[in-house]
Amino acid sequence: MKIRYNKIATVLALTAGLQLMSCSDSFLDVKPRGLNLESNYYRNQEEAYNGLVAVYDVVGWQGSGYVTTIATMNAASDDHYAGGGGPSDIMDFQVMSNYTLNPTTGPHAELWRKGFSGVFRANSILEKLPGVPMDENLKKRYTAEAKFLRGYFYFELVRLFKNVPLFTKTVSTQEMYDVVQAPPAEIYAQIEKDLAEAMPDLPVTVNAATEGGRVGQGAGHAILGKVYLYQQKYTQAAQELALMNGTPGGTNAYGYKLLPNFADLWKSDNKFNSESILEISYTNTSAGTWDCVSCTEGNIMNIITGPRGYNRKSDAAPDYVSGWSFLPVTPSLFEAIRHDPRSKATVANLDSLEKAGLVTYEKGYMNTGYFLEKFAGRVSNRWTGAGTPELNFPQNMYDTRLADTYLLEAEALVRGAGDINRATALLSAVRARVGLKPVAATFENIKKERRLELAGEGHRWMDLVRWGDAPTVLASKGFVAGKHEILPIPLLEMENTKIEQSKEWGGTK
Amino acid sequence: MLYSMAQTALAQSRTVKGKVTVKTGGEELVGATVIVEGTNIATITDASGNYSIEVQPEATLVASFIGMIAQKVQVGNQSEINFQLEETADNLSEVVIVGYGVQKKSVVTGAISSVKASDLETMPINRLEEALQGRTSGLTIAANSGQPGSAATVRVRGVTTLNNNNPLWVVDGVVVDNGGIGYLNQSDIESIEVLKDAASQAIYGARAAAGVILVTTKKGKAGGIRINYNGYVGTQAPARRLDLLDATQYATIRNEAAVAAGQNPVYANPGALGKGTDWQSLIFNNKAKRQNHELSISGGSERSTFYLSLGYLDQEGIVASDISKYKRTSLRLNSEHKLAKWLTFGQNLGYSHDKSVGLGNTNSEFGGPLSSAINLDPITPAVVTDPAIAGAAPYTNKGVQRDANGNPYGISSAVGQEMSNPLAYIQTRLGNYSWSDNIVGNAYLMAEPIKGLQLKSTLGSKLAFWGNESFTPISWLNAASVTSQTNFNRTNNRRLDYNLENTVSYTKAFGLHNVNVLLGQGAYLDNNTTMTSVTFFNVPATNFDDASLNFKVPADQRNSDGSEGARHTVSSLFARLNYDYNEKYLLQALVRRDGSSRFGANHKYGIFPSFSLGWVLTKEDFFPSTNAVNFLKLRGGYGVVGNDGIGDFAFLSTIGSGRNYTIGNSGSYIIGYSPNAPANPDLKWEQTSQTNIGFDATLFQNVNLTFEWFKKATKDILQNPRIPGYVGAISNPAANIADMENTGIELELGYRKQFGGVDFLVNGNVSYIENKVTNLGNGVEYLSGGASFQGAPPITRTQVGQAIGSFFGYVNQGIFQTQEEVDSHIAANGNKIQPNAKPGDFRWADLSGDGVINETDRTFIGNPTPKWSYGITVNAAYKGFDLVVFGQGVAGNDIFQGLRRLDIANANWQSDALGRWTGPGSSTEYPRIVNGDPNKNFQNPSSFYLEKGDFFRMKTLQLGYSLPAAVISKVALKKARVYVMSQNLFTITKYTGYDPEIGGNVLSIDKGIYPQARSFMVGLNIGF
Repeated sequence: MKIRYNKIATVLALTAGLQLMSCSDSFLDVKPRGLNLESNYYRNQEEAYNGLVAVYDVVGWQGSGYVTTIATMNAASDDHYAGGGGPSDIMDFQVMSNYTLNPTTGPHAELWRKGFSGVFRANSILEKLPGVPMDENLKKRYTAEAKFLRGYFYFELVRLFKNVPLFTKTVSTQEMYDVVQAPPAEIYAQIEKDLAEAMPDLPVTVNAATEGGRVGQGAGHAILGKVYLYQQKYTQAAQELALMNGTPGGTNAYGYKLLPNFADLWKSDNKFNSESILEISYTNTSAGTWDCVSCTEGNIMNIITGPRGYNRKSDAAPDYVSGWSFLPVTPSLFEAIRHDPRSKATVANLDSLEKAGLVTYEKGYMNTGYFLEKFAGRVSNRWTGAGTPELNFPQNMYDTRLADTYLLEAEALVRGAGDINRATALLSAVRARVGLKPVAATFENIKKERRLELAGEGHRWMDLVRWGDAPTVLASKGFVAGKHEILPIPLLEMENTKIEQSKEWGGTK
Repeated sequence: MLYSMAQTALAQSRTVKGKVTVKTGGEELVGATVIVEGTNIATITDASGNYSIEVQPEATLVASFIGMIAQKVQVGNQSEINFQLEETADNLSEVVIVGYGVQKKSVVTGAISSVKASDLETMPINRLEEALQGRTSGLTIAANSGQPGSAATVRVRGVTTLNNNNPLWVVDGVVVDNGGIGYLNQSDIESIEVLKDAASQAIYGARAAAGVILVTTKKGKAGGIRINYNGYVGTQAPARRLDLLDATQYATIRNEAAVAAGQNPVYANPGALGKGTDWQSLIFNNKAKRQNHELSISGGSERSTFYLSLGYLDQEGIVASDISKYKRTSLRLNSEHKLAKWLTFGQNLGYSHDKSVGLGNTNSEFGGPLSSAINLDPITPAVVTDPAIAGAAPYTNKGVQRDANGNPYGISSAVGQEMSNPLAYIQTRLGNYSWSDNIVGNAYLMAEPIKGLQLKSTLGSKLAFWGNESFTPISWLNAASVTSQTNFNRTNNRRLDYNLENTVSYTKAFGLHNVNVLLGQGAYLDNNTTMTSVTFFNVPATNFDDASLNFKVPADQRNSDGSEGARHTVSSLFARLNYDYNEKYLLQALVRRDGSSRFGANHKYGIFPSFSLGWVLTKEDFFPSTNAVNFLKLRGGYGVVGNDGIGDFAFLSTIGSGRNYTIGNSGSYIIGYSPNAPANPDLKWEQTSQTNIGFDATLFQNVNLTFEWFKKATKDILQNPRIPGYVGAISNPAANIADMENTGIELELGYRKQFGGVDFLVNGNVSYIENKVTNLGNGVEYLSGGASFQGAPPITRTQVGQAIGSFFGYVNQGIFQTQEEVDSHIAANGNKIQPNAKPGDFRWADLSGDGVINETDRTFIGNPTPKWSYGITVNAAYKGFDLVVFGQGVAGNDIFQGLRRLDIANANWQSDALGRWTGPGSSTEYPRIVNGDPNKNFQNPSSFYLEKGDFFRMKTLQLGYSLPAAVISKVALKKARVYVMSQNLFTITKYTGYDPEIGGNVLSIDKGIYPQARSFMVGLNIGF
């Protein structure tokens, strides 16, 4: 009988396992580690701030295929070719530069994604903010910043695509296929509303050291002014920009003032300077690598615009990094700027450096011998810490700086039959900073000034389209009037949705 | 397998002794059963094949052994009876592992294919997948690359889902992740069973949809100690090289391309450039070494058995051997112990350590030795010896790699980007390796308190450690591949999976009714993974050996990373009923209920039922008893299985980080967080239902035939339907959406016959499968994406009504021979479709009829997945000689050969470029070559890039000689066999690339695949 008891004991032990395991539903309830759920995030001020940072992230958007707004706009303009290593190197730039883009190929998919990511993240945080237990004043400021940014992203979207859907809250999975495009006027109305609502709760000044990159009231007026200008509301534009600009050449109400030395604008250690209204902010400390180009917080503009195969034979030569030779400066821009005091800080003249025997470099695709001095990466700026140096340049770029808003206001005044003396003063202030004599504030002179002052900063193409000059100026690049003023709606956006292609691109919208 | 207890007989019994051997060859059979007919008095033979049993004179002794025909002898007055058993022609007496049990093949009602140890003995198999390739029907297997240690892509009955199609591997009851089966040493394998139909798979429920592969390792056999050694050494070489242009040809074509584009010729005198550099010969190793040794010790008594083995594998790659090699050491201990007559304890434990040196890109157009050898111009010298050149740019750059004499490796001025001198590239990766340690095992307790009732409790576990060590020196390979700071990376991973299973089974015969019932319960946890990785930059070292994390670089020169895997748990209950009436009418029904941590709150548990029926016609009285049909079983089954490989936490809306922005002047950035995608609490398993109908037959005593027809339908395939970009979410929410269907037939044929002294055995199998996507969700006509080809739009497309991931591209309708032909290619409105084309350009089909050639003119142009797979093995033995011929192949697929980089205009060409169009009538297939490729002759993916993928490969050819037993027994050997063999001796194919066998997530995309080696080996197999 002894054996029998052993048997029973063993059998009981074996079946015990069965019972233990079968009643454990919690066994299937695996907790996501290191993963926050939407249902329990945004619990405090810090998490609200993290949500706001995610919106700002889109301002510095760099796609995995190196597409950025500024680089794309440069490629499209008459000031740059796409360049690079060959005719299909960064195809998105190539097709933008030679106007062979179509709904499937081109930078528009990335820029569409950028804009709507910004809108989504702004809407997300705007929906969450009311429920976050935190300081109410701070909450007002976050709300204002998110609204400003939503307006800012829509401003880019409506200019690039014209026909876009309007979201003032995040869209649910049930409704997302029923979305239709809004008339551009409706989009502009929402932008104006967002910026106006944001204005009172934005700070008058922003502490550059700790908050540089975040927006204040100055940026609010500047962008709103631009928004009016693009709608040809010249009077309102001039009024709004004047609030920003103050006395030409002087320090304005928000502390902005032209930098005395034009070249200082492109120094990496001169971030958030007194001329900078809305700055696109980068750093070299994020250890970005090729594994995820879009994840780096470094500025990729520096490596893509660097001269290709650059080989410095003398210390007298500039210390450019060997880059990828994108966005070479066209002969047209070079001719326009070569005798201007801003030339040296704008164009890297590899052609003459090579002729002088100081350097050699590889002639990339559509090489002109001229590169973008403002952004060509420098060895002195090359990161030596963790990460891929190519992807970790710290130089910031300007979305909007004071010289830009001076010229915009001057344009609004001239086109809107406003105060011509103030227009002259604004134009003169920009010229005086680089030692140029005043000229008459004519529309033509303002156009010329904008091109030279802001070359390579991503404004030119938008300017040409706004002025209606694009079809003539860009004809040689392949620009077709009535078509290329806007980008096509990305093909995939129309799959299974109610989004329609714009008329300009053969669509119905 | 069958544990039969020797029992003491009563009455006037006496002892009979004898030996059991194999009739052919005379090998002693260890563990053969000798039973007194009609009783349960039995014994098993010892390590020399000897037995001894107490019997009465009127008794009949029956000796039996798996795979042998049982032999009966009347005892009479004999005191010594020797049995010489013949191997059976039919395989019906074999048993088959079916998951939580075994079944006699003659009563199996599902579709199960097996590979036995005897099929694999001394075969040159490094990874388990190879053991299945060509040896079973219903499987499509393609090596991912020829790099030693590289895994293969395994598909059971085709592609089941748009997601993870890897089968479930179960080794001795332990679920082993797909990538992780490389730890197994093939000589430890007792059998591999592939559960192909849902009726068989359903016992693995929610994880079975992509097929289940059961691996059983060897156990010891009672009766003394056996020692077996098998080893081979050999040499490997590439079987084929590409025919690339030499320097003169290259320069000629480049000149032509420049002139055609209105530019000046590039090279003044191409003829003076000679042959130039043959980059392929610099990276291929025609004498790559390979060796494999296996030693096993096994044996035991009736109470305890064990199997202990040691394996060692060392293989060099045939490409850039310095940075391509693999070593594996493995150890196994399996044992089983009878603690009491009714209680058994057992364990299986395998350990392996491997070290893998990989060259990086094994099938990529973006660099690596192969891709560079294909694309680099033949003009650049391998090594620059002219001091004037070596002393000038670009050789003055810091980090230019040099040979042992200090001469720099040549740097191409024509071809750049990722294409760098492979010799220099090798220098930058020397010493880097990855490694893994795998410990996989289980322990079980089995009780049989009353006859027929078996309780079993099993604890299984896999513990894996893996990582890599790599040093990147300062290097300047070309202007685009510059590393200006050293870095040293160490990555370590650890993973623990475990499972606990309890089963109760009861077997009982009620007259002619045989019943077996199984009830079980299991709990599984996997992917308990941690990873840490650290990189030190600017490590003061110039090579791997000198690099160390002991160099304490400053904090800002360190980069660290870490993560934890999302645990995956499954909780299960299952039951199975097997019933047969006199082994004539067969029934199996089973059901499994699985809960998974991956299912959404609304569908936490899935139920997976199946049944199958069989009818052995030859057991019917009405069946004519002829010699033509000896056995015939019809069977059919239906079942539903699931796939929970749908990602972790896919049903939740999560907040993602990494949406960072730099704020303020300090240089530091703030981590931003935002929602990833909306939630989907309805998320559940993918469901595959399958109907299988087949038969097993034995004809003319020596032909075995198995036929299967199946239809497999998968629904609720998980998709992250691309939500519109305007939603703005960073990722797309998962949902159960798509459906697809597979239909196929399979045939396995075996034939065994003795012709005089020649023992002849043939096994063949062939499978045919057709895949069709039937639904991709509301309004979704196709899925973009899949395989890419450089800057071109995706070259595969998954579309309703088509096979998954079919090739998609432009249709070229030949080459314009004259300007008239260009001008006459007009649209309906009379406009020229290709107004800018020139003679020599492709005429593109304007499929959309809109008068222009653009993306809308693409269509389906081929299929990457083979429709046919087949294999054939021929064994012949004559006296001491034996021969194995094993071949395998596929048919019915196309291969996309995209070897040349299009964005590198000066990349080299294959020699078919010599047949390019040069004037009217010169070519109808290869267009003109012109810089900029204005007509996109090459940039448009088209049928120009496709070739037939059919191939037949002589996988293994082995000739052995066993020394006669009489000779070797003098030196106490039981077996001594020497053999020579070749692997991949030849491949019959029209494909022009390195190798038509191209695995990967999307099959048959050749971007310069690391080819399979051809090897020649000699081996020795001895047993004590």
